[in-house]
Amino acid sequence: MTLETSYFMDSLVFSNIRQRPTRTIISVSGVALGVILVILNTGLVRGMLNDRIRRERGIGAEIQFTRKGSSMLSPSSVMSLDLRYGDRLRQIDGVSQVSPVGRYVQTGKSGLGFEQVDGIIFESYASISGLKVVKGRVFQNDSEVIVDEFKARQSNLSIGGEIQVFGKQLKVVGIYAPESGARIKMDLSALQTFLAAENKCTFIMVKVSDPDKQEEVQKRINSELPGNVVVLTRDIATGFGRSIPGIDGFVNAVLTLSVIVSSLVILLAMYTTITERTREIGVLKSLGASKSYIIGVIEKEAIVISMIGVAIGLLIALVAGWAIEHGTTLQLEFHWTWILTAILIGIGAGAIGALYPAVRAANQDPVKALAYE
Amino acid sequence: MDEILLTENLTMTYRVGKVDVHALRGLNLSVNPGEFVSIMGPSGCGKSTLLHILGGLLQPTSGRVIIGGEDLTTLSDAERTDLRRRKIGFVFQRFNLFPTLSAEGNLKIAEHIHGKGKPSRDNRMRLEVLKLLQLENKMRHKPLELSGGEQQRVAIARAVINRPAIILADEPTGNLDSENSKIVLDMLSRLNRELGQTIVMITHNPEAAAVARRTIEMRDGTIVKDYLNASN
Repeated sequence: MTLETSYFMDSLVFSNIRQRPTRTIISVSGVALGVILVILNTGLVRGMLNDRIRRERGIGAEIQFTRKGSSMLSPSSVMSLDLRYGDRLRQIDGVSQVSPVGRYVQTGKSGLGFEQVDGIIFESYASISGLKVVKGRVFQNDSEVIVDEFKARQSNLSIGGEIQVFGKQLKVVGIYAPESGARIKMDLSALQTFLAAENKCTFIMVKVSDPDKQEEVQKRINSELPGNVVVLTRDIATGFGRSIPGIDGFVNAVLTLSVIVSSLVILLAMYTTITERTREIGVLKSLGASKSYIIGVIEKEAIVISMIGVAIGLLIALVAGWAIEHGTTLQLEFHWTWILTAILIGIGAGAIGALYPAVRAANQDPVKALAYE
Repeated sequence: MDEILLTENLTMTYRVGKVDVHALRGLNLSVNPGEFVSIMGPSGCGKSTLLHILGGLLQPTSGRVIIGGEDLTTLSDAERTDLRRRKIGFVFQRFNLFPTLSAEGNLKIAEHIHGKGKPSRDNRMRLEVLKLLQLENKMRHKPLELSGGEQQRVAIARAVINRPAIILADEPTGNLDSENSKIVLDMLSRLNRELGQTIVMITHNPEAAAVARRTIEMRDGTIVKDYLNASN
């Protein structure tokens, strides 16, 4: 071992981390908690939205028509759109097909997250989206549903199985592909009956005859049926942050919270440490250690602790993410930018949290510090 | 010969409540390179204050302190810290080793600070000091695994390893039994004789003071006696 590495291993920083295990464990947990918070929350937001967007886009219609105040992505069960809009849309130049969809939102089976049910008119929906029943058959009465392959796999459903919608046990009669919209589909009229919304739906899918002219059709719908929301399906991705109100605020709140948690834990841990080590800091000063040297020793210690916390936090977040995906209806999607953000937040918060104790230590009166019991 | 340490009219006044306490009253002291000086006196005579001022840990109320040609009293806090790094080695009554570091780690951190973050290139000084202090086999031990005498020898090694201009020792035998005291004092005097290390040592023990070549007696913040010890 060279002189440098042996010094490195034996340095004050590492020996303090080893010699004060309780302090180290508590601070490592604090940082890990922050990292887990960031990764799981952003992963969840991203996963849920992207999953939804993928399925919304899979719907096959270029345009989605709905009333103001209801959104394809928002978790609410509003069926306020009159079905007669469908006839009026069909008459607009450039529109080739329309299909109304009713959407119902219920809590996920584990109580976490939510689950949507689409009420559709099978023939028109299938013709626009290309949806096919790959196993079993199409629903034929109010107590039958079909589900997509993901749902069947995740909830361990097979033909003849039962699924709870509106608190009722409905029978799964078919499995369909590809994924589009909600994962559970039933007859629109059945949904209308359940929700006591005769002749209503949530939105209407509009297929145009020439996809290159979808913007013109959108304009035409807007002028002929003003006061409604006419969205191009391809714009849903870019608009998704806005389509669920407060999602950016939520992500920012999570980030801020985790910075605060991590830096406070490190601040308290390092504050206790420097108080415990007042005399050692006095000795460092008597040896001629400058303020920046002392700040450096304490910051390095905090950063090493933070890095351990970040590594453990990452590991736990990834394992927890896997468990959540398999145990609930929630979808997670990790992205390297958020993982990087979590790492930077963990280490940065550690460095920030240690700053005050470090500066305080560096400014201690050496004579008093040496006399400290 | 130029003094390595010189004080002129050094005064130090503390304010305790509404009362001024005169710890030093116009103290004049000069120490030549290679001297071993003990400073004796009863508690409260100002000897600890003097040592802290000489080491740049305290700023005097008035007067001058010159160490190796640099006037400490004109320096900023950061400059005094830097002078301490370059020229002063402290030995304390309570050893003050870093408890989480091995004996070797304690020496290395002193070298690290002295070298401004660079590890020392030259092992010869360390080996010579360790041999002289008979610490070669103790380097892997943590302070709590060493006896008081051994801990103090490690602390002395730490103070001397960067070849400071002066070692300031504050009651180095105050926490030791007589046998270990004798060993530590013997080590200090060997460092002085064999390496020419200048040492200023505070003690209230006349036997310890007698190990030095020169003894200064203080009372009420000033020097009352300054004499050479015949036996040395």
